[in-house]
Amino acid sequence: MNTLLEKYTDEVQTILAKYPPDQKRSALMPLLYLAQREYGYISKQAMNEIGEILDITATEVASVVGFYTLYHDQPAGKYRIQVCTDLPCALRGSEEFLKQLCENLGIQPGETTADGLVTVEEVTCLAACDRSPVFQVQTPDGLVYHENQSVENAMKLIRTWQSKP
Amino acid sequence: MAKLVTLTIDGITVQVPPGTNVVDAAKKAGIDIPVFCYHPKMEPVGMCRMCLVEIGRPVVDRATGELVRADDGSVKIQFSPKLETACTTPVSEGMVVINTSQKVKDGREDILEFLLTSHPLDCPVCDKGGECPLQNLTMEFGSGQSRYIYDEKMHSAKHVPLGDLIYLDRERCIQCARCVRFQDQIVDDPVIGFYNRGRALEIVTYSEPGFDSIFSGNTTDICPVGALTTADFRFGARPWELNAAASICTQCPVGCNLTINVRREAISQGRMAIKRIMPRQNEWVNEIWICDKGRFGYHYVESEERLDQPLVRKDGKLTPVSWDEAINLVSMRFKQAGSNLLTLVSGRLSNEDLYNIRKLTDSLNGKSALYTQMGGGDVVAQVGMSTGSNLANLGKGDVILVIATDLHQEAPIWWLRVKQATERGAQLIVANARSTRLDRYAKYPIRYAYGEQNNLIAALVQLIDPQKFVDAKAIKHLSEQSIIKDTAEALKAAQNLVIFFGNEGSGVADSQVLAQTCAILLATTNHAGKPNNGLIPVWQRANDQGAWDMGWRPPTDLSTSIKEANALYIVACDPAGDDPRLSLTPDFLVVQDLYLTPTAKLADVVLPALPFTEREGSLTSGERRVQRYYPAIPGRTGALADFAIAAQIAKACGITLEERSAAKVMDAIARENADYAAISYTELANVEEQWPIIGRADLYYGGTSYENKQGLGMQLQNAVQKGEPFQISLPELVEQSGEGLLAVPITRLYDRGNTLIPSQLLRTHLVSTVMWINAKEAKQQGVEEHDVVQIECGETSALVTVELEDAVPDGVVLVPRSVGIPISEPCRVRLHITERV
Repeated sequence: MNTLLEKYTDEVQTILAKYPPDQKRSALMPLLYLAQREYGYISKQAMNEIGEILDITATEVASVVGFYTLYHDQPAGKYRIQVCTDLPCALRGSEEFLKQLCENLGIQPGETTADGLVTVEEVTCLAACDRSPVFQVQTPDGLVYHENQSVENAMKLIRTWQSKP
Repeated sequence: MAKLVTLTIDGITVQVPPGTNVVDAAKKAGIDIPVFCYHPKMEPVGMCRMCLVEIGRPVVDRATGELVRADDGSVKIQFSPKLETACTTPVSEGMVVINTSQKVKDGREDILEFLLTSHPLDCPVCDKGGECPLQNLTMEFGSGQSRYIYDEKMHSAKHVPLGDLIYLDRERCIQCARCVRFQDQIVDDPVIGFYNRGRALEIVTYSEPGFDSIFSGNTTDICPVGALTTADFRFGARPWELNAAASICTQCPVGCNLTINVRREAISQGRMAIKRIMPRQNEWVNEIWICDKGRFGYHYVESEERLDQPLVRKDGKLTPVSWDEAINLVSMRFKQAGSNLLTLVSGRLSNEDLYNIRKLTDSLNGKSALYTQMGGGDVVAQVGMSTGSNLANLGKGDVILVIATDLHQEAPIWWLRVKQATERGAQLIVANARSTRLDRYAKYPIRYAYGEQNNLIAALVQLIDPQKFVDAKAIKHLSEQSIIKDTAEALKAAQNLVIFFGNEGSGVADSQVLAQTCAILLATTNHAGKPNNGLIPVWQRANDQGAWDMGWRPPTDLSTSIKEANALYIVACDPAGDDPRLSLTPDFLVVQDLYLTPTAKLADVVLPALPFTEREGSLTSGERRVQRYYPAIPGRTGALADFAIAAQIAKACGITLEERSAAKVMDAIARENADYAAISYTELANVEEQWPIIGRADLYYGGTSYENKQGLGMQLQNAVQKGEPFQISLPELVEQSGEGLLAVPITRLYDRGNTLIPSQLLRTHLVSTVMWINAKEAKQQGVEEHDVVQIECGETSALVTVELEDAVPDGVVLVPRSVGIPISEPCRVRLHITERV
């Protein structure tokens, strides 16, 4: 049973329709985003299902998941906060930002809060060095950028998520 | 032929075809450019950077297009500021390549330093140690010292089973992607891949059940380090302890060339033991690849169960006796039986065995029969692959027709070579009653109902030549289909035509007719007797073709022939094992085999034979290439080669047969059999230089497969090529008939034959006693997946487990051959459920 295909039949067909039928493997990346939106990460089952839809092996699907940093193969919080700590950002205090943010949440970088809501990760270069501290959030609705951040700002944002049903 | 490109490499002038890369061009000139990721059988990727060279190109005046010359008149050469990768750089006219400068050496030293930053220093326990490209190139170009901080080495998992046959050591991997590319590009089974990036990159499989590909062993040959090892050989021996013997694979009619690595060892009680089977290059046959059945399925020859002395039934019990006693008894009884002697052999035997046993039987006026489920060997002798044929020559403009066989399961290397031909532009027609893995490369995938295969070929013949099969009612519904009409047009336009035929859906008689219709198709399209054209039989056994060539024929009705015989001489086959209900109760039964098979257990005399690894012999492949194998280890005391046993029985009967050596038997064959007149063991040992050049000191180039120094074999001339008249008349066509569920036996690579069971390693891969049926038909028959059902065919029956499979046509169940289900030909069956889980 292909749960992804059954639940999102129309969406899968819309994605597939964008590519020539003999090259449907090109639809791999949008399908991976679809799966990630559904499950929060790309499970092994999702890899199998996508492989089945596209007529490629699960291993070929996995290679793409492994290559790109925006696909996740492990479950995490509903919101993934990814803080850039590359050199220019570090000069603007992003390391301290990360440290304090984590202290506020009571977790270490890479960990998820106990309520399963927030994961904080360290990443390299989000292409906004001049507006650091900067982080991006992967939410169920997509990717959102937050620039010129302070810990207070970030915590305010997190509280809005906590109050959401 | 395209104009050659001239360049110089280290001052040597080289001429190569345009498009050649610099590594290959250098190789042709005898210059080795070191590589890790490049492999001559695969597209270059430039991943490892080991092949860095200095490359200069002639300076061209942009205004005039003329070459710029120095004062002395020589062409001015502009060198790139940086080193370039030789594998991804195609040659160009006037190019100058420098492979030996200090700059090049420094570049390579740096690359090696990078590769070794996290490579473990476990060469002393590594299976690749001694034949490792990384080890060798580090000795040649490495600095001997690393500036990398030892404590920062990355450590990864060292024993990762990618499947149950191949193990990965992640630390040793240098990320060249040869294995990943082999699985993707060469065998189109991409079940291993890369995960992550940079230093974290690793080989993974997310497929179920893991790295399960019938060609997986080849990745360990081309792996330039000890990252991939086989479960069979790992920690088994060091390469420098091994001796090598040339051999031929006996698992299928392709005839892949092998090297058998052996050593004398304490753990084998001081005996010589086989440590591994490796491919031996033969670009006419298997290139440098073999399938996993050939690589891992050899353990039966070493089985402890093997017979090592003759047995004679005394007081109802098989009792060990001397050879003299056994031979005397056998010869006396055979002489008494005379024309009531029936000899039954299989294509597992060598040409020499088949010749001698035939001679013995004929001299006693006995009858001879070939144990097989397929016919057509005599047709192949007329229009088989012609001398000078190579499947690698097929490409654009050529057509390959594959009918009634699943090549991927029956003859994997042929599957591979047909697939590669389609990549070079050959058009493929795959005709079968069900879809098979070859379909994905077919331009014309044709479906017919089981039993219609002969009519399909006849329909094609009729469309091409309306004078043939005129008014044949049986083919009308076929020749009206547009895909079949298109296929006929493609056949008409073919420059070369190769036809593979098997026996899926046919018995012996039907497949004989299929061979005839295919031969008529070859003749009608005027392709018979020409190089790169011909008929290839997909036999069940390695030397079925040799058996036909030595005069053996399948009996019209085996059980009747057996019933009529007073004395039975059964060699290298196990009819009682295949069909337990077969009545094997002649007055005198002699069985000659490796083990005490179910047939041998019924015998009055059992004669122990030697397997192919312990003697000499020759086999004739489906492409009619005669190839010889050599003894890999000394013969086990007490057993004899089949041809020698036959000669001893003959001697005791007063008949002279050659028993001194297989080579001398081949000389006798050559004197008597016109097709084999040119064959001798000396001729079979001839070699020529092959491309790519592999297996020499530069293991990094082609991998650890062996160079062929022991013979490429000889392809026989077929009758048409020799100018003999084409003697195949149009067969009668019959309309598809019969009611009820049809059971069709199919061949699976990993069956449960006597020669495969002893290989422990393959045990989980073996097909079990199942029956495949599609979901719709299952419903109709009232069976469900995993049901155990009694499948009844006439008087015989067997218990099988139901497995659902979409590819099975309606009204049909498929059963595997050689697993103990006594259905050797298609037959109408009834199902009775005995157990539901």
